[in-house]
Amino acid sequence: MASLLQPDRVVYLVRGEKRIRTPLSQLYFCRYCSELRSLECVSHEVDSHYCPSCLENMPSAEAKLKKNRCANCFDCPCCMHTLSTRATNIPAPLPDDPTKTAMKKAYYLACGFCRWTSRDVGMADKSVASGGWQEPENPHTQRINKLIEYYQQLAHREKQDRDRKKLARRRQCMPLAFSEKYGLGTRLQRQRSGAPISSLSGLSLKEGEDQKEITIEPAQALDEVEPLPEDCYTRPISLPEVTTLRQRLLQPDFQPAGASQLHPRHKHLLMKRSLRCRKCEHNLSKPEFNPTSIKFKIQLVAVSYIPEVRIMSIPNLRNMKESQVLLTLTNPVENITHVTLAACEDEDPDDINSTAKIMVPSKELVLAGKDAAAEYDELAEPQDFQDDPDVVAFRKSNKIGFFIKVIPQKEEDADVTVSFKIRHDFRNLAAPARQNEEAGDVVAEAIWLTHHVELRLGPLAP
Amino acid sequence: MHHYSCVKIAAGAVVCVESEIRGDVTIGPRTVVHPKARIIAEAGPIVIGEGNLIEEQALIINGYPENITPESVVEPKTMTIGMNNVFEVGCVSQALKIGDNNVIESKADVGRNVILTSGCIIGAFCQVNTCEVIPENTVIYGSGCMRRVQTEKPQPQTLQLDFLMKILPNYHHLKKTVKAGHNV
Repeated sequence: MASLLQPDRVVYLVRGEKRIRTPLSQLYFCRYCSELRSLECVSHEVDSHYCPSCLENMPSAEAKLKKNRCANCFDCPCCMHTLSTRATNIPAPLPDDPTKTAMKKAYYLACGFCRWTSRDVGMADKSVASGGWQEPENPHTQRINKLIEYYQQLAHREKQDRDRKKLARRRQCMPLAFSEKYGLGTRLQRQRSGAPISSLSGLSLKEGEDQKEITIEPAQALDEVEPLPEDCYTRPISLPEVTTLRQRLLQPDFQPAGASQLHPRHKHLLMKRSLRCRKCEHNLSKPEFNPTSIKFKIQLVAVSYIPEVRIMSIPNLRNMKESQVLLTLTNPVENITHVTLAACEDEDPDDINSTAKIMVPSKELVLAGKDAAAEYDELAEPQDFQDDPDVVAFRKSNKIGFFIKVIPQKEEDADVTVSFKIRHDFRNLAAPARQNEEAGDVVAEAIWLTHHVELRLGPLAP
Repeated sequence: MHHYSCVKIAAGAVVCVESEIRGDVTIGPRTVVHPKARIIAEAGPIVIGEGNLIEEQALIINGYPENITPESVVEPKTMTIGMNNVFEVGCVSQALKIGDNNVIESKADVGRNVILTSGCIIGAFCQVNTCEVIPENTVIYGSGCMRRVQTEKPQPQTLQLDFLMKILPNYHHLKKTVKAGHNV
């Protein structure tokens, strides 16, 4: 459906650290800063981990222990699809009486997409449906764990030295208690997410001693390398046996070159993330905790606050000739919105892509509010807006269609691009509104927001 | 070229009336042809073995090659299909020689110059129109038609065939059995 609507033809400019041009459906709107935010100007935080196939939630500590992999589900090493467990009946001798055979269930893993089975790599069928499958052991695990422990200890020690030095400096300007009280400590701590809070308050000179000193032996360089097999150049390659790079690199422990050594691995966990505006630290998007739910607790997406411009019809565009393009403007909020369009001035620093001149309607366009119950309410009178038929083509509940005039300037233009500014009023219902003391009702202040919009109208007609 | 429009259906085959079978087609016993399946023998006869499963909207066609002039004489070639093959929903098969135990998955397209040996699986929506013999137990899968070899051939669908042979006659009329050598 997204390809039908072609949302990437209309892009809005986000003025953040970087100037980003994306369609409105991919943007967020911080209603505390009253600005558009894109994915690159928000901070991403991990909410929870879950397995995409069994939808099992996992707390972050457990996920870290299991190396972010699910305990029950496996991935096909050949095509990365999820493996399913299948059962066959095999005759097996009964434990009491070896002469009689009974049908016992044997389970094996199979991929529905590429038809890989666990029997292909020689894994025996298991007698339990789940939990019987083991990943092969990495021969270097012990050495790697020892190295990790040693470096963790080293990093911890360095961090403590740094903290001690920093606090010693700050002690000259303000006492230790102040930094904790005014929350400066928390800001520092957030930037280094691994640092324990106790390191600032419970400093002692003796703590290095109660941790065991871990020593490692340095890696030894070998002079002799295992020689290549003798028939390396003469043996014909059997292509089905060679693994692809992708299959090989998905298992960085072993990186098998032969397909008969490709063992299945546990499935990677996915995570739910929440987004936070970097300037005002408010949450822009917070999903629900339950992995089966796709709803959001907080969802400040741009399409529910900013009027959206969409291209409805484009006539044949000819070089240096004026044509009328029909655009639609949709009002996402429930109150009436007033929209003014303005062409970009010459020497506008935002206007870098346009290849055509544009003439927008100079009058203010009024958009009706979005009324969910309008289709059921038969007695409602259609609101009379006095539309100028040269400007407004049609009006339908909270949407209007209007004309703009486009004059392509470049000959042989593969993609005629125009840009204009859209200015609309925004009522901030989140901020505390001034209470009218006599009447007692809350009227939200309207502020005017301006956005820069670019449209890609496609090639010139031949 | 006009052939005898005779369809020879062996005893034990279940061929629904809604399927379209044209030309000189022989269907072996224990084969199930679903409604809306199409078996068209234009440029030569088709011989289908036993135990095959031909699902809805599958198209098995022995057609004229594309680039021929109306005057040229094309020798009729017989299309042979072996045993225990599965033609899933919506597939198109023009391969002249198909062995045993192959599976052509949904919406796959097998060209005329392909020869399937046995145990091959052509994955869903894969289009194979090369000029080759596909080795045994090959699986073709994915959007790039990746290949791999599996260690065992796919299981014959005996359970499914038995079930269908019991259930289909309850809901569909069947084409009558016509013995070979009998012109209708």
